[in-house]
Amino acid sequence: MTVTPAAAVAAPVTELTRLLGELAAPGGPFSGERLAALDEREAFPADACRALDDFGLPRYYVPAEHGGALDDFGVVTRLLRAVSRVDLTVAAAHGKTYLGAVATWIAGDPRRAARLGRRIREGAVVSCALTERHHGSDLLAGEVTAERVDGDGGWRLTGEKWLINNITRADLVTVLARTSPEGGPRGFSLFLVDKERLAPDALSPLPKVPTYGIRGADISGLAFHDAMLPDDALIGAPGQGLEIILKALHVTRTGCMGMSLGAGDHALELAARFAAETADRGTPLAQVPHVRRELGEAVAGLLLAEAAGVVAARSVHALTGEMSVVSAVAKAFVPAQVDDLVARLLHTLGPYGLTDADPHGRFAKLERDHRIIGIFDGSSLVNRNALIDQFPRLARAYRKGRRDETGLAEATDVRAPLRPFRPEALSLLSGTGASVVAALPSAVDRVHDLAASGGASGGLATLAEGIRRATDGLHERMATIRYSPRAVPGHAFGLAEQYELCFAAAAAVHLWLSRPDRVDETWLRACLVKALTDLGEPVEAADRDVFDALTDVLLSAPGTVPSLLDSLEGAAR
Amino acid sequence: MPESDLETPTAGSLARWLTDCVASHLERPVDTIDPSVPLSDYGLDSLYALSVIAELEDHFDISVDPALMWDNPTVDALSKALADELAVNG
Repeated sequence: MTVTPAAAVAAPVTELTRLLGELAAPGGPFSGERLAALDEREAFPADACRALDDFGLPRYYVPAEHGGALDDFGVVTRLLRAVSRVDLTVAAAHGKTYLGAVATWIAGDPRRAARLGRRIREGAVVSCALTERHHGSDLLAGEVTAERVDGDGGWRLTGEKWLINNITRADLVTVLARTSPEGGPRGFSLFLVDKERLAPDALSPLPKVPTYGIRGADISGLAFHDAMLPDDALIGAPGQGLEIILKALHVTRTGCMGMSLGAGDHALELAARFAAETADRGTPLAQVPHVRRELGEAVAGLLLAEAAGVVAARSVHALTGEMSVVSAVAKAFVPAQVDDLVARLLHTLGPYGLTDADPHGRFAKLERDHRIIGIFDGSSLVNRNALIDQFPRLARAYRKGRRDETGLAEATDVRAPLRPFRPEALSLLSGTGASVVAALPSAVDRVHDLAASGGASGGLATLAEGIRRATDGLHERMATIRYSPRAVPGHAFGLAEQYELCFAAAAAVHLWLSRPDRVDETWLRACLVKALTDLGEPVEAADRDVFDALTDVLLSAPGTVPSLLDSLEGAAR
Repeated sequence: MPESDLETPTAGSLARWLTDCVASHLERPVDTIDPSVPLSDYGLDSLYALSVIAELEDHFDISVDPALMWDNPTVDALSKALADELAVNG
């Protein structure tokens, strides 16, 4: 067999998945029993994190040019997805280093980046401190201050960062600090703070905050007391902090997406096992029509989320300048779909005892753990607001069909080699709009052509046409949204949610068109029926039967969940 | 938005267009926008300001770094910076 790019992508993922299977055996650091006990005690999963260090996962957080193994953001997304399939607390705890370091990769001095790369490969934990106690997501209200020190040079850091993942455990922390008293978008700078180089009395950790989910994680804060930072702690130039961190979030949000997709897999796997093993008055749940329908719709939701996820992760390389749109869509949409599917499974199977069936309470734990994904690294509201700010541009670009054809082909064909990621191509605002969505009408034309020549069903063409109509109408409504600063109308958030659905459906159509040999049409039909349903568009009752076909796939192989990602890129489990 | 001479945006035409655009977003009369006052003083926050840049790019069919507005926070400074950048990039 020749090695294709897809096979190369899957290699570390396959290896990690196999290892996690071993570590999840009774007594292992990823066993349900041990993870449940830690969760109960709100204790950090240190052994599980150490096992991931031993595997070498940190190498994949470091770009190849800085000495690591990261050359494809789809791989790190899939690695975090693999860990999240077993336990989300561990994924959030370990993956934080990936989120914490990105600012240095995209804007830091190359020598500093190489040093950070070495530290991470050696096991250093990196955190990222943006939020403060009284300001939540409002970064420009930050009060932590860094002042230039006269004479010897360097910076003096003062103030408190709070509600930060891993900040107490971290060896290094990326800190956003005010560097000019008047603040504003050029009034903040980023620093990579190496705790080892600080005087012992320069910082004090704040107590762990009890949380609803990820109970074992180190969610805490840190107070800096005139901490003296060397000159080289500054990331980029003074005043560029906000710009750098907004761009870094364009990249890190794809990692969060991987965590959500893994949690979705885990939820479906547990639900499928439960449905297969449980009967209601003699009838196996797996044969109860409404249970089958709900399971199938949950799978469809996950496939739709995967479609958005695959394209978003590839877009970091291929449509870098559009990430202000793509990352906002992915970060708002994927966790919301997974929250929905978890709620759907609980609603359907909860009354039969889903959460009590597992002695380690894994379903209940993942339901709690997953809530955080829609909140950290920019909440769903922040991301939807970012989309709404771009509505006029997106509506104009859609009307004109403006798109980056080459980048789109690369982002949506998983066989296409990805160009190296160029941080300098990140932009606060997408110049093109969103190629994935702007190219939907022509993609739907291709589905019609295929249907005419027997390469697709007429039913698929009808569904695709429905998505195009909905997307056309949505952009007309998006174009009418006008508001004065800080007065975003409530209904615009509804339009943003619809935009995410149209984006995901368009991503699914593009992926299918570039690989019809690998992806059964059933899966695309299910994605489109799910998207149309969530958009509130009319769907024929017979079209919804496609969900039952997904249920059959889900129940036919215990322990596996139908996955667009895996079938496109080669199975990894 | 007013129609503008699409061919050769000058600092003057850019400033007029920007003032109209900002006044329209802020829902206040054009003559109350002082071109030498930072736009944030009128409540135009930094992320919202990016959408003004998007509108400007689409209107004049030009491409600029969105953060230009952060470095040049008044109508006067921004229109001069834009005109300079357009002159350099042809």
